Amino acid sequence: MSTTTAVVTPDVTTAAGSPSPQGTTRRRRSTLRKKLELALLLGPATVLFVAFVFFPLVAASYYSLFDWNGFGPLTDFVGLDNYTKALGDPLFQGAIGHNLFIVIASLVVQLPLSIALALLLNGKIRGRTGLRLLVFTPYVLSEAVTAVIWLSLLQPHGVVDGLLEGVGLGGLVQLWLADQNVVMFTLFAVITWKYIGFGIILFLAGLQGVPEELREAASIDGASGWQTTRLIVLPLLGPTIRIWVFLSIIGSLQLFDLVWIMTLGGPAGSSTTMATYLIDRGFRRYEFGFGSAVAIILFVICFVFALFYQRFALRRDTQGALTGRVE
Amino acid sequence: MNTRSIRKFVAVSAVAVMSVGALSACSNGDGGSADGVTNLTFWHNGTAEPILGIWQDAVDEYEKANPDITIDVVPIQNEDFATKIPLALSSDNPPDIYFNQGGGLLATQVQSGQVADITELTSGWLDELGAASGNWAVDGVQYGVPYASQVVGFWYRTDLFAQAGIDAPPTTLDELNDTVETLKAAGIAPIAVGGKDRWPDAFYYNTFAVRECGEDVLKKGLADADLSDDCFTRAGQAVIDFIATEPFQDGFNGTPAQQGAGSSAGLVANGQAAMELQGTWDKSVMQGLTDTDLDPLLGWFPFPSVEGGKGDASATLGGGDGFSCTQEHAKECVDFLEFLSNDDIQTKLVESQVVAIPVKAAASSAITDPVVKSIYDFNSEAAYVQTYFDIALPTGVGSALNDAVANLFAGQGTAESVAEAVKAAK
Amino acid sequence: MMSTTTITKARAGFTAMTPVRYLAALLIVGVTVAPLLFVILGGFRTNAQINSDPAGLPSPWVFTNYANILANDAFWRFLGNSALVSISSTVLAVGLGSMAAFALSRYRFRGREAFYSMFTIGLLFPLGVAILPVYLLLRQLHLLESWVGVALPQAAFALPVTIIILRPFMAAIPTEIEDAAVMDGATRLGFFWRILLPLSRPALVTVSVLAFITSWNGYLLPLLVFNDPANFTLPLGVATFQSQYSQDTASILAFTALSIVPALVFFIFAERHIVGGLTGSVKG
Repeated sequence: MSTTTAVVTPDVTTAAGSPSPQGTTRRRRSTLRKKLELALLLGPATVLFVAFVFFPLVAASYYSLFDWNGFGPLTDFVGLDNYTKALGDPLFQGAIGHNLFIVIASLVVQLPLSIALALLLNGKIRGRTGLRLLVFTPYVLSEAVTAVIWLSLLQPHGVVDGLLEGVGLGGLVQLWLADQNVVMFTLFAVITWKYIGFGIILFLAGLQGVPEELREAASIDGASGWQTTRLIVLPLLGPTIRIWVFLSIIGSLQLFDLVWIMTLGGPAGSSTTMATYLIDRGFRRYEFGFGSAVAIILFVICFVFALFYQRFALRRDTQGALTGRVE
Repeated sequence: MNTRSIRKFVAVSAVAVMSVGALSACSNGDGGSADGVTNLTFWHNGTAEPILGIWQDAVDEYEKANPDITIDVVPIQNEDFATKIPLALSSDNPPDIYFNQGGGLLATQVQSGQVADITELTSGWLDELGAASGNWAVDGVQYGVPYASQVVGFWYRTDLFAQAGIDAPPTTLDELNDTVETLKAAGIAPIAVGGKDRWPDAFYYNTFAVRECGEDVLKKGLADADLSDDCFTRAGQAVIDFIATEPFQDGFNGTPAQQGAGSSAGLVANGQAAMELQGTWDKSVMQGLTDTDLDPLLGWFPFPSVEGGKGDASATLGGGDGFSCTQEHAKECVDFLEFLSNDDIQTKLVESQVVAIPVKAAASSAITDPVVKSIYDFNSEAAYVQTYFDIALPTGVGSALNDAVANLFAGQGTAESVAEAVKAAK
Repeated sequence: MMSTTTITKARAGFTAMTPVRYLAALLIVGVTVAPLLFVILGGFRTNAQINSDPAGLPSPWVFTNYANILANDAFWRFLGNSALVSISSTVLAVGLGSMAAFALSRYRFRGREAFYSMFTIGLLFPLGVAILPVYLLLRQLHLLESWVGVALPQAAFALPVTIIILRPFMAAIPTEIEDAAVMDGATRLGFFWRILLPLSRPALVTVSVLAFITSWNGYLLPLLVFNDPANFTLPLGVATFQSQYSQDTASILAFTALSIVPALVFFIFAERHIVGGLTGSVKG
């Protein structure tokens, strides 16, 4: 079963639900009944969703126009000041930069690595299910637990340092979390550790959707291994790649748990992300109006990216999802 | 047993375990009154011994004497307070008794409406705590009580100084710079600083400002959150110059102040650095991070004088620790705080070296260590004690100041950066 | 670049590749598993052992760390809290989500696509982005310090993924089955409850697993909602434990190892379904 495409199936056929052709009364009764059924089915989810997803966003837009410490009524209207302050703050700009770094590094490093490893592991090796299990384990852990684990490992003179020195690579030892120039790379390495298994499994699933006959036909036609991969396998892996990229970018944009626990955004703001900036300013400093503005900015960034991406990259895959029509 | 039945077994037992846990979680009521017994929550920052034990013993003793009161003790790592208290004061169930350092920090908390006005309730015994209690009042209204005063100075390893051939601790900034060079030459990290937590960085800026600025200018600048006077710029420059002499340990920007043997306190405790500019609580923290007895190995000297500085040479940076109450159980809270302030507990705090400057004068006679005694005397004779800037200022402004100084330590910013950050955060 | 040469060789013949495959597999497993092993084994050592030889094996094996944590009720309480929150959140998300997906897949009505688009917008940003206004809303509703205050938002944010996965699945159920049921006198809701849901079991399990994992691993929302440590969920409990006992590395490792166990157990059980209907959980 092609599992990934199931998620983004373009066509949704509706079931028959048309009222009976006999008599207007019956039609009216069925219409009323149908409306009630819809209300019952769709209502609770809609209420929950609107209450906790839409309404907070609208509320945040409102709060963002005030200078507010979170207590008492909103009295200090400042218009768009919070937005200009945030966008003009070098620390926030740095945070955006750090998020972008993770986005790009993920695309440049994790994507090829995941695909390559998936390709490698796609052949017949014994113990493949056990392998899948083990490789996927970090993904199941919470980011908080991952952060605690690596915080221990990366202590100065800790395990990582000890191992490097043990194999004679002591010269490579850095202050993994204390050096401003190194910390983002360290965090990226931890993120990669956590999510590479996810990528490998995702692409392994995608590869299973590539029919063996295509590959055989290609090699009969004289295509080399690399050509087959490049011209046949990778394009067929397209939908999977596009989904991975989407998830990766959204995840990179709202990175919080890992950074908060490992570095709190330090040293000196060199590992701040938009989300840690938001929590630090909004909650720790009692600046709820300002924090709301940052939240709106973060939302807009995610939303605009996702919209663009759906439109241009996923258009072929997700005709039903956002922009296309459904029967 | 095949895979399927193993999975089934695991699944069933997992569900069973979780159900039991969930049921116990469900039945977990929150604190309050139940059949005559009042339950209080007590948040303090003493996560390590000996202070952890002292608070726990105090609570046990109080509960025994007051059977209608039970107290939940919640030790919270100091650095987590900055996140947890704003959240708690924003919620429906803030802690009844919580650790508080007074000043502008307290003033910001008061805005939540949750901090209890205890002027009336403490009027009978507040005087016994001395002038320090003024720092827990906002506009004349008492919102907390102190249990310790603190000053900031240089703790140093006498053995490492001796090893490097240094006879006496420095008294001027030039002498300090020389001391740093001598230690470096002897292969010893001169000063440890907990840059990760930012407030230890701010100590340097604060103390330089105390040296550079006259008392009135200093107090006014902080009251108005306006650091535009020249002396603050000079302080900023002094910090930059000092950092340029490279007196700190490797990776100082990522080192925590108190957590673990790799913290700045831990480095001094284990002889890997010679000095640390810290408060009086630090000795107890250091002792907790090593098995070696630090009594014969630690000395203390005040922040050196700075040439041309308009500040009084005996003035010092400092502050205090105290507790505040929230509205719901204010009366019970104050009763407990009165108990905590008794001479007995004060003496215990002094004896364990957690506190160097108790608020109750009587407890000071329990000071045996000559170094601690020298600190106590220094505090008594200081021209004035300036509260740490991040506590004196409102929370948001104080955080901005700490961040700006941390940036200086990271090589970013100019002598005016700190004043600019404070202005922007107002 | 590694892939160029190795893949060229790959197509040349199976046997040349196989050792490379095994090597790669070994390396990946090693890198993945080693940190976890370190944590688990570290719990069996004393702090002195860890400080003197960070990467070594326990010698002697010390059981007090694990024993103390298991005997102390804090760990179990965190576990129970997490279970309560995650189960509630999952039941709510999948329950409401499946009903909505049914409506959106098998009913025809005006504005249907608008509804669907509304839900998919939720996919575009996770809980972390909306956390500040959600917190303020919870405060207004007096849901702070309550497991309900965590379960509700988590369920709300799990709805998009749930609906996006369930809708095509439900739509693909042939109309003949529904027609047959209606002819037998079943109402549409009856069809939903008695026939469609059981038929949708694979997809339901997938979305349940995804919702459960996302909820179980949540850190930020519990951090903001819970002040009383008695109410902490497991990830929050682990992080707090680490912060509070920062010098007791061995205990921290033991605690962390124990908190990994539920996730691993669950994963062994649900692995098929996670890998199956993927793309639900976003990073973090």
